[in-house]
Amino acid sequence: MGTVHAKTLDPVPMHGRDLGVNPDDLVETSEPEHEAKQEILENKDVVVQHVNIEGLGRTKEDLLGYEISDVFQAKNLIDVMKKAHVARQKLLRLGIFNEVEVLIDTSEGTDALPNGLDVTFEVTEIKRLTGSYNTMVGNNEGSMVLGLKLPNMFGRAEKLTFQFSYGTKETSYGLSFFKPQPGHFERNLTLNMYKVTGQFPWSSLKETDRGLSAELNFPLGIANHTLKWEGVWRELGCLARSASFAVREESGHSLKSALSHTVSIDSRNSAIFPSRGALVRVNQELAGYTGGDASFLKEDFELQLNRRFFWDSVLSASLWGGILYPIGEKVSCIADRFYLGGPTSVRGFGMYSIGPQSEGDYLGGEAYWAGGLHLYTPLPFRPGKGGFGDLFRTHFFLNAGNLCNLHYGEGPRAHLQKLAECIRWSYGVGIVLRLGNIARLELNYCVPMGVQSGDRICDGIQFGAGIRFL
Amino acid sequence: MSLAAEAFVSQMAAAEPWPENATLYQPLKDDQILLSDCASSLAVQAYLRMCCLPVQVVCKANAEYMSPSGRIPFIHVGNQVVSELGPIVQFTKAKGHSLSDGLDDVQRAEMKAYMELVNNMLLTAELYIQWCDDATAAEISRPRYSSPYSWPLNNILAYQKQWEVRRKMNAIGWGGKTLEQVYEDVSQCCQALSQRLGTQPYFFNKQPTELDALVFGHLFTILTTRLTSTELAERIKSYSNLLSFCRRIEQNYFEGKSS
Repeated sequence: MGTVHAKTLDPVPMHGRDLGVNPDDLVETSEPEHEAKQEILENKDVVVQHVNIEGLGRTKEDLLGYEISDVFQAKNLIDVMKKAHVARQKLLRLGIFNEVEVLIDTSEGTDALPNGLDVTFEVTEIKRLTGSYNTMVGNNEGSMVLGLKLPNMFGRAEKLTFQFSYGTKETSYGLSFFKPQPGHFERNLTLNMYKVTGQFPWSSLKETDRGLSAELNFPLGIANHTLKWEGVWRELGCLARSASFAVREESGHSLKSALSHTVSIDSRNSAIFPSRGALVRVNQELAGYTGGDASFLKEDFELQLNRRFFWDSVLSASLWGGILYPIGEKVSCIADRFYLGGPTSVRGFGMYSIGPQSEGDYLGGEAYWAGGLHLYTPLPFRPGKGGFGDLFRTHFFLNAGNLCNLHYGEGPRAHLQKLAECIRWSYGVGIVLRLGNIARLELNYCVPMGVQSGDRICDGIQFGAGIRFL
Repeated sequence: MSLAAEAFVSQMAAAEPWPENATLYQPLKDDQILLSDCASSLAVQAYLRMCCLPVQVVCKANAEYMSPSGRIPFIHVGNQVVSELGPIVQFTKAKGHSLSDGLDDVQRAEMKAYMELVNNMLLTAELYIQWCDDATAAEISRPRYSSPYSWPLNNILAYQKQWEVRRKMNAIGWGGKTLEQVYEDVSQCCQALSQRLGTQPYFFNKQPTELDALVFGHLFTILTTRLTSTELAERIKSYSNLLSFCRRIEQNYFEGKSS
């Protein structure tokens, strides 16, 4: 039997985070080829004698042993091809190889069995150091961004990333070290060190955060858990001399040392335009028990359900909510509170411009909820079907939400009542564009309703870009 | 403040009368505030009492960062925020309250000169003693400055402030001075003030002016603050007319009312 060069069954890995291919959109091409050979080969038992990996440089072999061990279990040729394909996916998701080719050949050598097979993975390692340099201009500020990445630093899929942004107004940088557990890539540890500055014109606030964090990710059953410790030195200041006094009172330094836990169950078939599945994410953060000035318990959750409707349209419902409970006598800090409103949450309102405010500066609130109901349909008349047009959708939406501060002395009934009164809501229609597999752009026509005094609205056309939308 | 900003503040200020709920902000009195800030704050409080303008003193740990100029003290009047004695004097003048109206131009120039002397000599000496003298910095200034914060932020902020003040001292030429020289400078400043005061009750005879408030703030604070050594207080005590001046102002404006 000659060599079966099972190079690639599909052009790109199917579940990579950075690649914009939706598995639903791909058509499986492997079946017809195998049909013809199936009656000849399927009954033939084979034994996989050797599995080799060629082209290794700095990668340690013990790391790869786990990924390719399954191939030994294959009993017939079809099985070998399938398991080799799965092993190839696993090797690619480590993020340390540019390309992986699979070669299946009959065994040769003194100990070769008549039905023995050798499987060889030919890999091309990623370069030791990759860099990027960008300049960005926007919002009265220009900046230069330098990125450095060292993939597979010590040979076991560790990754060190450094990003530095030098701008006319602010400078920020971040260093991140990622280490997966050999054999269990989904269990990994990330260590971060960063300085980030942000300006929030809706609160007339500017914030500089310098911090360290350590994060542990691991799957348990169907859920993905993340445990994180974060220590941040926060410096708050007024963005303009005309900032309200309530914001001026928040200026100064504080230290937050917090433990947080997130559990997330994601059964959607895509992150951006899912047509089925659900997402449940619950996050809790406890600050103050590992040092620092800030002391609170924060809970927030995110829920999204998707279901196909008639005629290729998708009905999507989402619900967000959160509560911040300060521990001790201290009042909560403006940097910890929740914000609501804008093109990424309740559409039709200005960015984070709902809720408690003082002289036009929005202070955020300690409890909130927000819900959205969307109907996504392909573009009318389907221009560019099968290609560019598939990146767009039209959507009809209904958003609602409320943000307020709670008086913790009263019972839960009073809290629910407070959250249920003065609901802001809006409805409208718009066009959504998918960017890669992570972000989306929206252009909507919104009609805000239930507007309370103090809220800032954006009725009419509203544009939004971001990663997380209600 | 720039001229345009000053003009703007004056125009805004003139519109409304002095409200009842004017507030003065300073760092925490018992644990945090340092000599120089306490002196500046007391000077402003004395000035406002001399103008008979009611003000409430509120202590906040982040007062220094709340202030628009980064200096203590600052007042919150209506919806205006003004910091430091100079701008506050301008602000009250725009509202129609002034202590130096009765002075002629020569006297006003003299008053400004003496206020500059106090700011350049006394205030700088206070900053030097607090931050450039290692003993005082380690025993008093750094622990007090960092008391509202938790580790390691307290150390970071205290050292940051110390480096900033030392850099400033170097820039104005005080970096090379020794503690003795600084005490000498303080003595000379007090001598000039003592000579100007003479036997009068206030610097410009019968009525107190902002210069009196400023001098009172600094001298009284130095006399009543515990430092690592009593040398500074002793130097001032050698001028008896300054001592009675401080006592006079304390009796007239601070006693019998909550301070």
